[in-house]
Amino acid sequence: MSCAHVREQLGAYALDALEPAEREAVAAHLATCPACAAEHARLAPLPALLAHAEGLEIPAAPPAVEERLLDRIARERGAGRRMRRPRRRRLLPAWAGARALAAGALAGAVLGAGVTALVLRDDAPAGSPASYSLVLNGDGGASARARLSPGRGGTELHLWVKGLPPGGDVVYEVRCERPGWSASAGTFRADARGRAYVVLTTAARLGEYERVRVVRRPDAADVLSGELN
Amino acid sequence: MLVERLRGDETGEAMRALYRIYGGELYGFTLNALGDRGAAEELVQEVFLRAWRHAGRYDPARAAVRTWLYQIARNAIIDSRRRASVRPGLTHHAYAGETEGGATLEQAMLGWQVAAALERLTPEHRQMIRMAQFRGLTMREIAETTGLPLGTVKSRTWYALRSLRLVLEEMGVTPS
Repeated sequence: MSCAHVREQLGAYALDALEPAEREAVAAHLATCPACAAEHARLAPLPALLAHAEGLEIPAAPPAVEERLLDRIARERGAGRRMRRPRRRRLLPAWAGARALAAGALAGAVLGAGVTALVLRDDAPAGSPASYSLVLNGDGGASARARLSPGRGGTELHLWVKGLPPGGDVVYEVRCERPGWSASAGTFRADARGRAYVVLTTAARLGEYERVRVVRRPDAADVLSGELN
Repeated sequence: MLVERLRGDETGEAMRALYRIYGGELYGFTLNALGDRGAAEELVQEVFLRAWRHAGRYDPARAAVRTWLYQIARNAIIDSRRRASVRPGLTHHAYAGETEGGATLEQAMLGWQVAAALERLTPEHRQMIRMAQFRGLTMREIAETTGLPLGTVKSRTWYALRSLRLVLEEMGVTPS
């Protein structure tokens, strides 16, 4: 039996899948041919390893874990930055002066001075925690309204979105940002009509960010954005 | 290097890529070890979170990324079982390093890495290995089942095992 002929059978030999006569012929050749024996020695340990993999089918990585993981990391990264950086000026005033701010913002919008969002007073009864309404605009006809209110250790964010490409597997991420700083508030998907309503929470507190931005995953493309002042 | 990019990864791209490469097999490994989908999902999340937090400690000279992630998963599974064992209200189906089939965690880790290696072979090569190794068919029987010439089945099986060996070496799993 030639070496070339034996080589082609070495896989089957290692897996013990030859007929008895073939197996004996290969064994006899290996006993006298160091080169073929060396090749066999490379393959011989594989069946024992394969035995450990019997019945194992690799499942799909759960997409929900991916989203939770990225949210968690964005939050931890945000929290780390807050600890390292001194708190900047509070960007939003106490609620007493907000009506004036709202009026100013509205004036800016009317004048068309590049204002993409309005800060308007929510109709909260006097004495209740301040909440803010925010309009987010983007290219491509999508728009959103957000209501931000102080939550436990951060901000609770209600978001109503419309005009997104309908349905599909596209995941959008909501980020609370100021220059050089970003915290994720979580992710959502659009429904079949390109709409979404989600309630998210972020560790970022009101006053720590200047802008709410919606980006598309995974390319982080801008979808919507709204400034808080 | 995905792991080196993790810390400065503002957009989450590196973590997403890492998760998509290794998330499935690590989920299979942990699900097999814990026997509960919810617990396995939590644990896989914890594994990647630990990888992100300790990315600076990863030394590519010492272990392949896959091996490193499996070690983190193994430790997290042991922690999880330890926590479960001190809470008698919770029952875990496996204890003391044993999975349900009686394999140790180390054997299970090896098994999942070999399963991942098989996934990287061509479907033709994978088919030969599955039929011969897992179904116990001879070359002649595989030729009859598939309608392929016997010589093709034999040479394909040889190439399949050679490819598997190379893939395992690349993955840092060295057959001994």
